[in-house]
Amino acid sequence: MLNFNSTIKQKKTYSDIKIEEIEPIIKINLRSKKREFSKKIGKILSILPPTEANTSSGNEDYNLLWLSPDEWLVYSNNKNQSLKEQIDMEDKLFDEISKLNQGAVTNVSDHWVMINFKGHKIYDLLSKSCPFNFNEFKRKKGSVAQTLVNHVDVILHNKYDNELNLFVRRSFSEDLWLWINDSARFI
Amino acid sequence: MFIINCPYCGERDQSEFSCGGEAHIERPKQPTELSDDQWAEYLFMRKNIKGIQFERWNHAHGCRKWFNVVRDTSNDKIHAVYKMGERPPLK
Ligand SMILES: [Zn+2]
Repeated sequence: MLNFNSTIKQKKTYSDIKIEEIEPIIKINLRSKKREFSKKIGKILSILPPTEANTSSGNEDYNLLWLSPDEWLVYSNNKNQSLKEQIDMEDKLFDEISKLNQGAVTNVSDHWVMINFKGHKIYDLLSKSCPFNFNEFKRKKGSVAQTLVNHVDVILHNKYDNELNLFVRRSFSEDLWLWINDSARFI
Repeated sequence: MFIINCPYCGERDQSEFSCGGEAHIERPKQPTELSDDQWAEYLFMRKNIKGIQFERWNHAHGCRKWFNVVRDTSNDKIHAVYKMGERPPLK
């Protein structure tokens, strides 16, 4: 990982909403159409890639999000994982999947910025500029959605009740961060 | 604005999608044997129907998959959605 400086410098707290960037954590994009793929991922991460749309699987260490029928995103729950541990995990995936032609493993740790949202009004905030219907997403822990927030592509992961992680591309993160904070003032 | 039922993700707002134009246009088997007019016909000419049209759509801000939509262009009513490679449901 290159460990770029973050564009997001501070945590923010509003009434009923808390927002902060969580970093550094490892994020890995997985793509495959092969049958053996699921088994191999299960062996390495001890979680199976979800096949049902808009869902995720996970354990204490990692989350595995469904992005498309042949694409997933892994991210770590652990901010304190050492760089060596992260690289070892990536290498294991790379050796078992990319090298054996079972799919593609891409480290996207510095590509996505993860912002954590907590509070009762997080869905009110996002709905201010998002075409997605949160009714079902809100209720189901582990739900995943890819959509637009203020015209910026995002991945949303329902982590707990009234808590979600939002992934945004690094180059769009500052713009979205400014919009989020501007809008949160009026909720 | 209208809702499109992505065959992979489910119902989403139209703003998440982009339209790829008319579907089921077959590439000529022997492009070298075509006249310029015939080649231009294949490349550029589209029906642009008022009424029921078969179109390709891409869930650009979601799963990024292509699929087919049968849409009435006069009122944006969607009659069917089906995956790439599948046969059109009505004709
Ligand atoms: Zn989709």
